[in-house]
Amino acid sequence: MPQEDKSIDRRQFLKSGIRGAAVVGIVGAAGLGVSKTRKSDTVWQIDPNICVSCGNCAKYCVLEVSAVKCVHAFAICGYCDLCSGYLNPKPRELDSGAENELCPTGAVKRKFVEDPYYEYTIDEELCIGCGKCVKGCNAFGNGSLHLQVRHDRCLNCNECSIAAACPSGAFKRVPADSPYMIKTKVSHG
Amino acid sequence: MKQSDSDNFETKGQWERTAVYSAWVAGVFSVVVAALLFVNYLQLKVLIPLREERLEAMKLKVADSSADAQLVGQIRQLDLDIRRDRIRGQGFSHRGSYLLLGGFIVLIAGAKLVSYLRKQLPHPEGQREGRAEQMQEANAGRWAITAGLIVVGAGALIFALMPTTDYGGSEVSSYPSAEDIAANWARFRGPGGLGISAYTNVPEKFDVEGGEGIVWKTAIPLAGFNSPIVWGERVFISGGDEKALQVYCYDAANGKLLWTGDVPRQGEEKVNPMEDTGFAAPTMVTDGRRVYAIFATGDIGCFDFTGKRLWAMNLGVPDNAYGHASSLAMYRNLVLVQLDQGQAEDEKSRLIALEGFSGGTVWEVKRRVSGSWTSPIVIETEKGPQIITCADPCMIAYKATNGAELWRADCLGPDVAPSAVYGNGLVYAIHPYTKLVAYRADGTGDVTETHIAWTADEGISDICSPLTNGKVVLVLTTDGLLTCYDAKDGKKLWDKELEEEFFASPSFVGEKVYLLSGKGVLIVADISGGYKDVARSELGEKCFASPGFADGRIYIRGEKNLYRIGNRAGE
Amino acid sequence: MIRKSLILSILLLAVPYAAAFGAERFPPPEFESGYELPSPTTPSPRVDVFEYIDAVVLFAALSVGTYLVLKKRSRRWIFALMVFSLVYFGFYRKGCVCPIGAIQNAAMTVFDKSYAMPVVVLAFLILPFVFTLFFGRVFCAAVCPLGAIQDLFVLKPIAIPRWLDSSLRLFAYLYLGLGILFAATGSAFVICRYDPFVGFFRVTGSFNMIVAGICLLVIGIFIGRPYCRFLCPYSVILRQFSRISRWRVTITPDDCIQCRLCEDACPFGAIRSPAAKWRGEDYSVGKKRLALLLVLLGVLVVFGGWVASRASGWMARVDWRVRLADRVYLEETGKVSDTTDASAAFRATGEEIKELYAEASDIEAKMATGSWILGGFMGLVAGLKLVGHSVRRTRTDYEADRASCFACGRCFTYCPREHARLDKLKNKEEGK
Repeated sequence: MPQEDKSIDRRQFLKSGIRGAAVVGIVGAAGLGVSKTRKSDTVWQIDPNICVSCGNCAKYCVLEVSAVKCVHAFAICGYCDLCSGYLNPKPRELDSGAENELCPTGAVKRKFVEDPYYEYTIDEELCIGCGKCVKGCNAFGNGSLHLQVRHDRCLNCNECSIAAACPSGAFKRVPADSPYMIKTKVSHG
Repeated sequence: MKQSDSDNFETKGQWERTAVYSAWVAGVFSVVVAALLFVNYLQLKVLIPLREERLEAMKLKVADSSADAQLVGQIRQLDLDIRRDRIRGQGFSHRGSYLLLGGFIVLIAGAKLVSYLRKQLPHPEGQREGRAEQMQEANAGRWAITAGLIVVGAGALIFALMPTTDYGGSEVSSYPSAEDIAANWARFRGPGGLGISAYTNVPEKFDVEGGEGIVWKTAIPLAGFNSPIVWGERVFISGGDEKALQVYCYDAANGKLLWTGDVPRQGEEKVNPMEDTGFAAPTMVTDGRRVYAIFATGDIGCFDFTGKRLWAMNLGVPDNAYGHASSLAMYRNLVLVQLDQGQAEDEKSRLIALEGFSGGTVWEVKRRVSGSWTSPIVIETEKGPQIITCADPCMIAYKATNGAELWRADCLGPDVAPSAVYGNGLVYAIHPYTKLVAYRADGTGDVTETHIAWTADEGISDICSPLTNGKVVLVLTTDGLLTCYDAKDGKKLWDKELEEEFFASPSFVGEKVYLLSGKGVLIVADISGGYKDVARSELGEKCFASPGFADGRIYIRGEKNLYRIGNRAGE
Repeated sequence: MIRKSLILSILLLAVPYAAAFGAERFPPPEFESGYELPSPTTPSPRVDVFEYIDAVVLFAALSVGTYLVLKKRSRRWIFALMVFSLVYFGFYRKGCVCPIGAIQNAAMTVFDKSYAMPVVVLAFLILPFVFTLFFGRVFCAAVCPLGAIQDLFVLKPIAIPRWLDSSLRLFAYLYLGLGILFAATGSAFVICRYDPFVGFFRVTGSFNMIVAGICLLVIGIFIGRPYCRFLCPYSVILRQFSRISRWRVTITPDDCIQCRLCEDACPFGAIRSPAAKWRGEDYSVGKKRLALLLVLLGVLVVFGGWVASRASGWMARVDWRVRLADRVYLEETGKVSDTTDASAAFRATGEEIKELYAEASDIEAKMATGSWILGGFMGLVAGLKLVGHSVRRTRTDYEADRASCFACGRCFTYCPREHARLDKLKNKEEGK
């Protein structure tokens, strides 16, 4: 009996030793890790200059309706009557008829400002983030329409499933305190 | 005591019944909701996309045909239906999911309750697990681990069968090497757009009537003013009219037309280039694997060397009084399109870099210049590669990698046609009829005053581009005055009246200058010490395009025919 | 400062590319009607402080769980805490970020210089480790929402033989290895990608994973917590920590009276019955076998590494950059003549194909090294498992297996000694 006790004691001692080492190891690694951690969280965002508006944002979000929406950088917009983000490439009329409109959900709203300018806004409730308007605007317009992850909707998954499906690697982890990459005006000489 | 026990039993039985029923009801409910959700899912992910495709097709159709009120009505109806169904479907899948969740919660609660109520005291049966069982267990464990290991290993080996790509080391490049570019005539005026032949064994003389020095002559189907480009044993030119825009590939050995590539006309607008410019004035460019051609309609196309069209698109009809004439250039895998048009204040002019393989726009910059007829050149400087463009009113240099503007010189005027040349760190550009300017290429910002090396104003051309070999700069006017300047300080060295009319730009072969006149006379002159006529040969056909030079050969595009000048192979 | 320079570098990066698309083809108008330019809205993400609250809740839940498991010994309360965790970490926090996934963030932090994990994620990873080292797998019992949702479905558990249990667990080790490998190379977070239950918490998700989740839950009716036992990569780490925990779940509050009542109490097969000492002849056979297996261990490590390294090419193709390089290679060698979204996007960047190939080769090389390590690790795990099955430990009492016990507390009430304890407690309270 005393011998058995001894062996149990030895095992206990060994275990305590390993446990101590493990605790020290974990805490030490964590301490080292802290030097490489960031205080603030990161969130996902689309770099509009890399985005190719392929349409995956509408398909791959874990949400029923994607957290990616079209955002309008008004400062860049040309307020065109013939808006290539709003209208089909070959519209019959410059109006909101289904045969002329590009947006599959009618989320791009058009409002007359003054001759000959029209303001375009996005109804985010309707927008599905398909990027059709973005493609049109980039191809023939000023590129003021662009896709952005909307953080009031985004669940901030550890691995964004759209990012995993993004063909151009446009999804980035950005600091949560500057969570958007809204396009701004770039002037050329 | 007994009484309360049986009471207890009865209430327990009631509870159990309730739990069983509610679990069943919740279970059936959950299954039904799940089925509906699945149907809804199919509706959203399969049916609606199919209908959307149909809608897209209808939209395309309505854009093509003239007013078809019925089709428009159908489109609007379908569009409305799709939107309504989508919103309805999304709403259902949202609400349905919560219903399903609720169903699950009731189901689980019921089932848990049932299993709790039905829980019985354990009755350990049979023998207590003994030594033999435990030994057996351990044995089975070892075998099972072995089996698991084999399964995992076999899985890994199956994946090992999947082919992987060997990228062929890092030798593969997306663009030709500098040596290849120097050895070929891949663009307007050859390597760097400088008009300097890499070969000095080029014939100086030929005789069309006697057939001497003409390897072959072949008819060109459609007219064009663009110059031949050459890569290895392939010669490319383009031609076009109102109906067709074409690229021709000839076998350099025998002049056989190997293939004709059609660039589809995508612009709607009517295009009326001047007769002197035509539909196919811009010279093509090649990277050794693919050729690129642009036309006055703004249509640009790409073909591989077998004649397969890889892509084609319309960049918009250039608003250009004489018709678009700027030739294509390349930097690495980027096709550079200088699309100058309209007036400077219209802000319509652009410089576009297209990726060769896919035709995708890599970068695009706006130019506040008016329409021009010059071709961009790409120069290598100490500060990196630059794209030099000439137009009214500025010569502008861009960073070749991203199109960022590096410097500009306000030195040019209206209707610029001659392209710039580069040598010894100086860029030479021509303000038609007015002046020849030389700028150092290492500036930033506005260098109009700061980086000018010299100017000259005698014998200034309006169409032909200048020519430099680093020692002298030659300028050739349309009416045949050839003027020679010192490349370093702009001192006029000599001039010579050639008494011919010229549209093609001059070229250097060693110390000899090759001049091709509008009437088709090739003048070869030695200019190492002043002007000295070496030879004059008549083609007997009008010539507007600059010749292309290759190993022992010259390719000349006449009005109707393409010629290979030189000795027959093996002779 | 770091953040500032990060933003600055993003801006600097943006400028040249902005030239690609941002060049305004139509000058923005100058309005005469007094129209004011709106600016795009930027709804904020969840405020950071909530993230810290999550960490505090995690700590509190672990502490309460520890008390309930070790002191209070009440399955009912443990169940209540588990439901709370399911609601909070699962349905309220939508299952992200969880300690299981945090393994990958840690791996990426170590191997990717440009990535740093948020401190809250680190806390999520570390806290359950520390708690397990001291108190056993309390996290699994009452805090993990993935465990909780499966635990609810434990309705008709059947006992599965220990050998099957043990061998199926190999997959969890493999999953852990792959998860770390892919995160370390920056290729993917597979543990998150194939999380079968997160779809329930979000009440939406990819069809395939929802179906997989439903299957696991249905299986879970009969085989308790299948994900935890056979797949969860975090579980296999906690197992090891739990082996050396300072305190742990005991079936009996004091002495085992060998009544066998708890024999089948555990739906997860974690209760071990008493085992006698080796008998003479068994001992000598066992000793020889053990020696053989220890030699085999080294062979298995090398062999495992070799086998896995064969599959490294396939593993590298999980990374989209390698797949892109493959595609571009096909295009460049003329095997295909069209472009995909990805290859067209790559080509439009104007980047050198050579560099893409180099990057892909680099990832392949990393994956090759990683797969040797992964294979070696798998060999080691299997070898140690074989050794484990060949070492006999004497047990006099019915005990919960230190590694496998989820600390769910189901077994407590099976023990008559526990009832005696509870009665005593009750009497004491009444006596007061």
